[in-house]
Amino acid sequence: MRLYEYEAKKLFKRRGIPVLENIVVDQDNLSDLGQIVFPVVIKAQVFLGGRGKAGYVQFADSREQAESITLDMLGKKHGQYRIKKVLVEPKIRPIKELYLAALIDRLEHRPLMIASTYGGIDIEEIARKQAEHIFKYYFKIGEKMPAFKARNIANDLSFSSAALNMGTRVVQKLYDMFIELDCKLIEINPLIIDDAGKMIALDAKVDLDEDAMYRHPELHEMGIEPRHEVGELTDRERQAKEQGIPYVDLDGDIGVFPGGAGFGIAAIDLITHYGGRPANFMDSGGAPTQAKLRAMLGLLIDNPKIKAIFGARFGGISRCDDWAKALVQYVLENKPKKPMIMRMTGNMEPEGRRILEQAKKDHIKLFEKIKIYSVTTPIEEVIKETIKVAQIINDGGQ
Amino acid sequence: MAILIDQQTKTIVQGITGKNASLHTKFMREYGTCIVGGVTPGKGGQEVEGVPVYDTVQACMKEHQDATVSSVWVPPRFAMDAVLEAIDAGVRTIVVITERIPIHDMLYARSVAKQAGVTVIGGNTPGLISPGKALVGMLPKITFKPGRIGTVARSGAITYYLANSLNLAGFGESTSVGLGGDPILGANFEDILQLFEQDPETDAVVMAGEIGGVYEELAAPYISKMTKPVIAYITGKAAPIGKRLGHAGAIVEGTMGTAQNKIEMLSKHGAHIAETLSEIPILINKALEGRIGHKKALDGRR
Repeated sequence: MRLYEYEAKKLFKRRGIPVLENIVVDQDNLSDLGQIVFPVVIKAQVFLGGRGKAGYVQFADSREQAESITLDMLGKKHGQYRIKKVLVEPKIRPIKELYLAALIDRLEHRPLMIASTYGGIDIEEIARKQAEHIFKYYFKIGEKMPAFKARNIANDLSFSSAALNMGTRVVQKLYDMFIELDCKLIEINPLIIDDAGKMIALDAKVDLDEDAMYRHPELHEMGIEPRHEVGELTDRERQAKEQGIPYVDLDGDIGVFPGGAGFGIAAIDLITHYGGRPANFMDSGGAPTQAKLRAMLGLLIDNPKIKAIFGARFGGISRCDDWAKALVQYVLENKPKKPMIMRMTGNMEPEGRRILEQAKKDHIKLFEKIKIYSVTTPIEEVIKETIKVAQIINDGGQ
Repeated sequence: MAILIDQQTKTIVQGITGKNASLHTKFMREYGTCIVGGVTPGKGGQEVEGVPVYDTVQACMKEHQDATVSSVWVPPRFAMDAVLEAIDAGVRTIVVITERIPIHDMLYARSVAKQAGVTVIGGNTPGLISPGKALVGMLPKITFKPGRIGTVARSGAITYYLANSLNLAGFGESTSVGLGGDPILGANFEDILQLFEQDPETDAVVMAGEIGGVYEELAAPYISKMTKPVIAYITGKAAPIGKRLGHAGAIVEGTMGTAQNKIEMLSKHGAHIAETLSEIPILINKALEGRIGHKKALDGRR
């Protein structure tokens, strides 16, 4: 779970990693801009990188200018993220820009610190082209940072002997925080030395393990709660979220009514592979209730862009009879006109099939455009047929 | 014997008194899995589905010294301790059903297991099955048929679809392993590929990976050392690119993580890439053609 820069800096301050005094401004406290000394830097608070290039890091020499820049940024979108707050701190002149990070190396399954004297600029580019300027330090799992190792790292960052202690402290505190707060990543880029010789974290990236937050009341005290870091949602995505359904709008015209996320991803690939265009990603989760299944169908039926629906149920923990009941009830209540091409197999399949057959017999008209294949039809055939049906509708046929 | 489990394997269930664990204890036993005991601290002396419950894994192992496999169903905050307890008591294979285990906990449990030479599967795995022999976890038994193809996948649902696709073409599985959905896993693709390579009852292996993480890439070099064909099915080609761990993640992992990169790496090292599920059995037939294993694999069809 990524933190906003202002949250990360609050944590840094609390843990003794030096940051500049800052204020966080939104629509409601613009007047706070009257309390600071200019010139300042104004930084949009969003998760996405590349703020500078997008014009979301700007300098201001006066309160008026700061207000107008702030008002201009607030409410705009950087990528899919809406800017709701800006961070304002003094503009300073770095003498040196460094890079320092701690993360879990997923290749080695160990904590790793990365340091470089080439901070501030495109560090990934440096790593690709001048790897000798990137220093890596591996740690044993469960190991505390020994003081000498912190000194070695600080020394590699070529501090003067006078500044070595300061650097050692930052390295040590960053690593301690990484371990103690169950972080996935802490990154300072740039870590600077200012013209007074002081070391300051000018930016702050922290990615926490949301599954470990229960054991860190410190975060709760600071108002940092587990949350989903989603960008601005579409109306339909918001509607899905309120019903507890992971859902992403895509561009196409084929609705995807899958089981879990793993097959949801595969279904999107397969539809694309056969020349169709999926309209969404969706995840039923394990053992969805009938109400949830009906809500999932509703999201697709109500989407005017969707011409045909592909569905698949592999009854494992979730059962085919529940799935069939949900489908039948939805159709009887909502009388959808869109074609649905689906496949149902797995646990309780005969029961599910009986429910569907009976409904079809009783309501011939309503089920005219609904086909439910069984285990003997490969899933790809079901997908191909859905694509064909959508194509015919697009070409003006019924 | 297939890999990791068969009908002779003695298993225990950690957290057996929980709702899910007790339900699946019933299903596992019905399938033929030999469950000798369960563990829930403070509930020793009880019985669940006819299985005796002990307070500790050690106490359980004292009564059942031949138990080698454990499945872990405890809540996430107790999962690391459960794994460490099982390692300490001498269990050789630990199947972690629990999902959303803190990452640093899993790293630690994993490193202790590696040192002890213990195989940890998961977390967040649906389990594993040697069809017709034994099932540890919560895979739906109806999907799987005995045969000579090994499968290993990250997603539970894809594990079912692989089996389904194989079965429609007349193949069956020696063992199907769910690696698990958590970000840090015990066993990875390479560990399981090694077991299949050594298993006389497996002729070919299907591995199914997905966008994100690095486990597919890490397994690629081993594939070129294998004598058995590997068919790889990677999903997420059409999915939007996921988030990265800052610049630091990119420095360490480079272009790893995308479906495209995984496919390139696997293909470069000799894996046969399946674009669709129904292509998998076709590629198996092609790869086994002319090999002694081919006749066996087809004879193994039920």
